[in-house]
Amino acid sequence: MNWQIHLPALVLAVPLLGAFASPVAGLGGRATRNAWMIFISVLTTAVCIMLWQKVIAGGTAVYVMGAEAWNITLPSGLSWPVRIILEVDAFSAFMAVVGSIAALAGAFFSLRFMDRFTGLEKFSALYFLLVTGMLGMQLTGDLFNFFVFLEIASVASFGLIAFWRDRPEAVEASFKYMVISTISAMFILIAVGFFYGRYNAVNIAAVARMLQMGYAEKIALVFLVVSLAMKCGAVPMHMWTPDAYAEAPAGVTCLLVAVSQASLYGLFRVCFSLYGASLGSTVVPWTIIVMGVLSMFIGVTMAVIQKEIKRLMAYHSVSQIGYILMALGVGLLALRDPQAMADYGFTAMKGGIFHIINYTMYKGLLFLTAGAVFYSAGSRNLNELGGLARVMPQTTFMFVIAAAAIAGLPPFNGFVSKLLIYQSTFAVYPLLAVAALVTSVLTLASFVKVFQTAFLGPAKKTYENVTEVPASMLLGMSLLTIVIIALTLFPGWTLSHLVEPAAKALVDQAGYISAVMGGGL
Amino acid sequence: MLDKVYSGFGYWDVFIWLLFFAISAALVLFVRSMGRNDYKEGTDQDEIFYGSNPVPEDGADMGVPAASAYWGFVEALKPYYNALIDIHSGIASDYVGYFVLTVAIVAVLVLL
Amino acid sequence: MTGNLPFLAVGIIFFMGMYAILFERNLIKIAIGITLLEASANLFLIVLGYRTGGSIPVFTLAGEVRSMVLPTPQALTLTAIVIGLATSALLLSLIMLLYRHYGTLDVREIRRLRG
Repeated sequence: MNWQIHLPALVLAVPLLGAFASPVAGLGGRATRNAWMIFISVLTTAVCIMLWQKVIAGGTAVYVMGAEAWNITLPSGLSWPVRIILEVDAFSAFMAVVGSIAALAGAFFSLRFMDRFTGLEKFSALYFLLVTGMLGMQLTGDLFNFFVFLEIASVASFGLIAFWRDRPEAVEASFKYMVISTISAMFILIAVGFFYGRYNAVNIAAVARMLQMGYAEKIALVFLVVSLAMKCGAVPMHMWTPDAYAEAPAGVTCLLVAVSQASLYGLFRVCFSLYGASLGSTVVPWTIIVMGVLSMFIGVTMAVIQKEIKRLMAYHSVSQIGYILMALGVGLLALRDPQAMADYGFTAMKGGIFHIINYTMYKGLLFLTAGAVFYSAGSRNLNELGGLARVMPQTTFMFVIAAAAIAGLPPFNGFVSKLLIYQSTFAVYPLLAVAALVTSVLTLASFVKVFQTAFLGPAKKTYENVTEVPASMLLGMSLLTIVIIALTLFPGWTLSHLVEPAAKALVDQAGYISAVMGGGL
Repeated sequence: MLDKVYSGFGYWDVFIWLLFFAISAALVLFVRSMGRNDYKEGTDQDEIFYGSNPVPEDGADMGVPAASAYWGFVEALKPYYNALIDIHSGIASDYVGYFVLTVAIVAVLVLL
Repeated sequence: MTGNLPFLAVGIIFFMGMYAILFERNLIKIAIGITLLEASANLFLIVLGYRTGGSIPVFTLAGEVRSMVLPTPQALTLTAIVIGLATSALLLSLIMLLYRHYGTLDVREIRRLRG
């Protein structure tokens, strides 16, 4: 028996073990706990990369929990999908790799960042639960299971956002996120109920195969699309994003960025693999595109006026999510038209998926540098900060790289994905590309503001004794920096090896269905 | 070259850009090396020019605070920003309201 | 007609919960609204799996009947109830902390984060 068959389950089992064994490791003191956190994070990343290699080499991996077959065959010959499955295609595996790298960087960063606080075994337990939830959302092939992992991730993230519970703002941010997120989760559960009521199945592939567009399906589609768009912070449901991202500890924010990508994954899994060609009208693609444009523009204009460094960056998350939504919305628009797909649709999808990895890496890095500034200088207020480049040269260097990447300055990786997005959306409707360009300019403007006020300028008396952050925090940041530089130097390799298989897997609805269902139902 | 990305309308090659940056860096360094290095240290030639005022001791007195950045931009878009800040009211039930409203609008659009 | 009554109940509970969340000011009442939403979603799943005259879907207990109610929604509902329990507990403890910090339960006064 080849152990690699169990890789999809291992991806979930490793962080889950990490979560539940964290309190035990915490008994052994600080060193044991830290070693455990790093060990599990590295192992998760390694398992995710192995899973990705296996999927690229051997095609979509289907793993049935607890049995050999995903269905049950009655004596009458009728077979029915009953078991929980994990279905990992190239897109899922890609997202899992991206998410686990962000989680690894966040774990390295959190070691020293959280050292001043108590209750750290609970922190690492929640951290790995959040990782489990994120990876579970990305690997599952079952709608209800998706809801369960979504809730695992949500509950863990509420706990982590409110981790500094003596700060009123942290509790407030967690409460607001919790109210809106629980309601959206109920909408998702009701949508799952619709599918069960219509098709007696919650397996994504099985439902997709039987799907006939009717009222129930349309309502379920609306519930799923809007709820998942809320979870990834699209305008006009983005208000929780700046609160939660700004108040969570920096290492957690890095992971929250990756978790919002898991919601984005769910959104596009629903649109492309579950509905796919039977989506019918162009209303839903245009809804996603409009949400994307609004997110880009409103997110970035709100960011320009922010005075708190992490809140400013959180508004940029909203605007970057807008790019991805717009690009993949254009891909969805072109889905039923092979000519349009070849002309601009597939380029837009490649740009969007490339932007997912770029965004997760540089956004995670930006939040980590903001956390480093907070750790050393003790302030997040841009009106107070200044002259930090003199005392924190490494952090400044990494901040500049991340800021240049997010602003889409050539030659950084952010430019490549934005270029693909501009050129493909221009073919659909020129105004979309114009909005994206304006957003990019404003992004640059607000990061120039952060760079100028926090890092440049003369040294301030208050920050004379500030020193560079400890080595383990620098390690977490440099991990993401190295990934960004690698993506910058080898965009062609990344596109052909990482992004294109993922985009193809997303477009190929028949492949997703037949990987589970095989020949016949 | 090695790592070209074709976008369907053109192509992107990072190494051409790196070459461009190398050439411009060489130019900048060349121009910088043309500067004079025979100034006298410790005299007025060495002083920071601060609008012919005395240079403050603490850097906090001379920086531009973040609140002043893009003042004109924000001032020009005042109505837009006022509306936007009103939307971000900080009240949890408002946020839920926007969510439910979006669900309703999209539902109407999809069902029609 | 009467077969659809449970769905009507689902709708009524759902809108009661929604109303409480949108228009009540007290945080505890908002928490109650969220629990109502969870209850309506759970009821919805249970009702979906009901078959008229069906017995419990356990083979050894069902006896001599022709039809059973569907077992999957019941498993789904159990999971959803457990998740709902976790959410409610966390929500109430957050409300407790909020009261400690802000000294009020009015949702319109807990707005230090805005803009």
